[in-house]
Amino acid sequence: MYEIIEGFLEAIRLIVMLDPDVMAISARSIIISFTATIFATLIAVPLGAAINLGTFPGKKSLINLIQTLYALPTVIVGLLIFLLLSRAGPFGFLRLLFTPTAMIIAQTVLILPIMTGLTISALSGVDPVIKDTLRSLGATRLQFLVNVMKEARFAILATVAVGFGRAISEVGAAILVGGNIMASSFRSSTRVLTTAISLETSMGNIPKSIALGIILLVIALGVNLVITTIQHR
Amino acid sequence: MIELINVSKRFGDTEVLQGITARVERGEIFAVIGPSGAGKSTLLRLINLLDSPDGGEIQINGIDIHKKKDQHLRIRRMMGMVFQKPAAFNSTVYENIAVGLRFRGVDEEVIREKVRDVLDMVGLSGYEERRARTLSGGEMQRVALARVMVIEPEILLMDEPTANLDPVSVEKIEELVLRINRDLGTTIVISTHDMYQGQRLAHRIGVLMDGVFAQVGTPREIFTVPASREVARFVGIENIIDGVVVAGGNGRSAVDVGGTLIQVVSPFARGEDVCLCIRSEDLQIAPVDGRVSASDGNSFPGTVMSITPRGPFSRVTVDCGFALSSILSWKVVDGLDIREGSRVIVSFAPEAVHVVRATRG
Amino acid sequence: MRRRTLFVAAAFMVAFMLICGCIGTAPSDTPAAAEKQQLRIATTTSLYDTKLLDRLSAMFEEEYDAEVLIISAGTGKAIEYGQRGDVDVLMVHDRAREDAFLADGYGINRRVFAYNYFIVVGPESDPAGIKGMEPEEAFTVIREKGMAGDADVVFVSRGDASGTHSKEQAIWKAAGFNYSSDIQGSGDWYQEAGTGMGATLMMANEKQAYTLSDIGTYLAYKGDLTLVPLVDEGDVLLNVYSVMQINPEKYPDINSAIAKDWINFMISDDVQDVIASFGVDEYGQPLFYAARDGWEKIGVPQAEVKDPVL
Repeated sequence: MYEIIEGFLEAIRLIVMLDPDVMAISARSIIISFTATIFATLIAVPLGAAINLGTFPGKKSLINLIQTLYALPTVIVGLLIFLLLSRAGPFGFLRLLFTPTAMIIAQTVLILPIMTGLTISALSGVDPVIKDTLRSLGATRLQFLVNVMKEARFAILATVAVGFGRAISEVGAAILVGGNIMASSFRSSTRVLTTAISLETSMGNIPKSIALGIILLVIALGVNLVITTIQHR
Repeated sequence: MIELINVSKRFGDTEVLQGITARVERGEIFAVIGPSGAGKSTLLRLINLLDSPDGGEIQINGIDIHKKKDQHLRIRRMMGMVFQKPAAFNSTVYENIAVGLRFRGVDEEVIREKVRDVLDMVGLSGYEERRARTLSGGEMQRVALARVMVIEPEILLMDEPTANLDPVSVEKIEELVLRINRDLGTTIVISTHDMYQGQRLAHRIGVLMDGVFAQVGTPREIFTVPASREVARFVGIENIIDGVVVAGGNGRSAVDVGGTLIQVVSPFARGEDVCLCIRSEDLQIAPVDGRVSASDGNSFPGTVMSITPRGPFSRVTVDCGFALSSILSWKVVDGLDIREGSRVIVSFAPEAVHVVRATRG
Repeated sequence: MRRRTLFVAAAFMVAFMLICGCIGTAPSDTPAAAEKQQLRIATTTSLYDTKLLDRLSAMFEEEYDAEVLIISAGTGKAIEYGQRGDVDVLMVHDRAREDAFLADGYGINRRVFAYNYFIVVGPESDPAGIKGMEPEEAFTVIREKGMAGDADVVFVSRGDASGTHSKEQAIWKAAGFNYSSDIQGSGDWYQEAGTGMGATLMMANEKQAYTLSDIGTYLAYKGDLTLVPLVDEGDVLLNVYSVMQINPEKYPDINSAIAKDWINFMISDDVQDVIASFGVDEYGQPLFYAARDGWEKIGVPQAEVKDPVL
């Protein structure tokens, strides 16, 4: 108990004093996961829209598959991306392993299924009468798509928040493809909140773990708050 | 303007439309009436190109609209449709109404002007910045109508536009429908399950039953000379009695109804199974000792089976070997001094009886 | 109008974030900018957890204007990274596997730069009573007591194919046991942590168990531990750290020049001095011995501790 309280107080101090290490790790976490979320959004939203609004054989099975992939274990994604990006792997020539880019790729892949799936749900949540009305008003395919997405904008925004929350709280893939590197330059380092917490705890550096944990918690809760606020609109 | 030629549509195993044939003239209000589930919505959706028919064709200005895929957008943009459920986009009233014009690439300035005009028309001036989802159902439906009318469609399709609305809102929408048709000459196809609404609005009515038009005609024709027993029932004729023609000639026939002969005016020949449709207001009820007016008419003694209140009236059902119901005001009921079990005489003129063939078609 | 402004603002934001993301995270070895050279090192956790490498990499970065990226993993994983060509340099401590790695042609230019000793640590109460024994004897006793069902006697193994894990297996073998049949899975007394040295020490501390540790990591963690060294003598406990580069013939885009710089840096007098004195201030004794003067003790040719690679 004493250790937790002491650790907590020290953690508060680290945060309040803007400990450069803690700040750098937090900023990196946010940048990496935010970038991954943007890429995933750019892929998942159009993809989800195409799947939702298109008609093709196997559509139901595809949606089922996507929903199954929600449960994609993060370390499996990590392993897959590791094998692909490793110098001995097919994309080794890109020299991306152990870089933030690799982490972005892994997180993008990781959150793609859930973001695609939630986009599909968001769009199918739009009242069919609204869809009929749009078509009836003479929308072209593109105009139709844009306006259906506009109707689902809050749900899609919530999807983005879910994706970000997932990306930033993920540890398995981050450590496998990032390597948890703390380099002298910000952009070569791959230590993020989750991997740092894992390392600092294993090194017995409890206050720092707690400080990082608090920040991660605040970000995750903040994201959730955004989701709830959006969904109540 | 719109020509429906043997249109059919199937959803899975259920054949919703089984060969619809009709013609809607330019500038008329055509009401599709029929019970719920008769396929009214389906028919309008087919016209609006929201669904494709499984058989037959729909022509607009002589063009089979479902054939020309590349012209779908152009054809659809001639039309506007208002749906049963008032649905608004999650934005302002202005944005809701502007959508169709935006699709057509109209300048913002023109849009603003047109939106203002159309809001004025539907009586929602000054509502531009309101969130559409916060409006009442009736207001939302007027926004939906404005959203369609702002694009100045040649054809306005309305799928039970007042089904979910309160009576005041219904009246407003009906007023608008008549005004749009009168002032703008828009051809309107409106579906409704309310035959009186059809009567109030339409130049012509198509009665849709079991996937076909059981009858197409003016409201007067539909209400006075229904083409079948089902139409008669649907347009609210209280008394529909099965019988067999036993004697005929000179347009006069006698119909045997369970041993009683009823005099009617009909062209049907002896031996045919027919249905007799008698509007309740054409029945007279008199005390058993009273005078019976029409000497050549039908008079049957009977026993009052029930008196059920119906608004300011009472529905009096008399058993004369077959049931006959009449609608009487409370005063009349009191004056006749009848109650359940009273003996009365029911009479009606042969001309009051509309005879249809018993089997459909 | 307001709407459009909002939209434009949003679009700008997204674009800005994307640019930030790309700049902030682009692979730093793209030739676009005048980038610093990067050296990727996969290291055994004991070197990393003691913070020796933090110290050395800072020196190196300054001297060579390069950036050192350290991936801390067990020796087994580090060798795996080396075989896949994902790093430029390995720093490990498992002579036998290093030999195999070199023989397979994956590594070249091995130099030994430091050594120290493994120790067997355990709770102060020493429930198995191994204090002062020879390592093999101590292991035998721990196993006996553990197998007999003494719940206080627990041994936590690294269990991660690291150099320390190799060493532990070697001791079991020297004590006359077959590791996979006699030790692994033989009972609750033997538990595999599957993690780094520091974490394993923390775990053994929580469980009040015995474990094998290198002296350096133990000292670095001593402040957080109640475990004490119980066995620290015996030839088998010698722990030799070496550095080598990945063979550029296997992976041509390995940064060979800077890898060589690092190896020569590690055996340079300056660094050897740092190694010899590292931790003295904090722990009262050095965590490592410089290999420079101990080649005979280690049992390697002098060239392997002194001769720069070319």
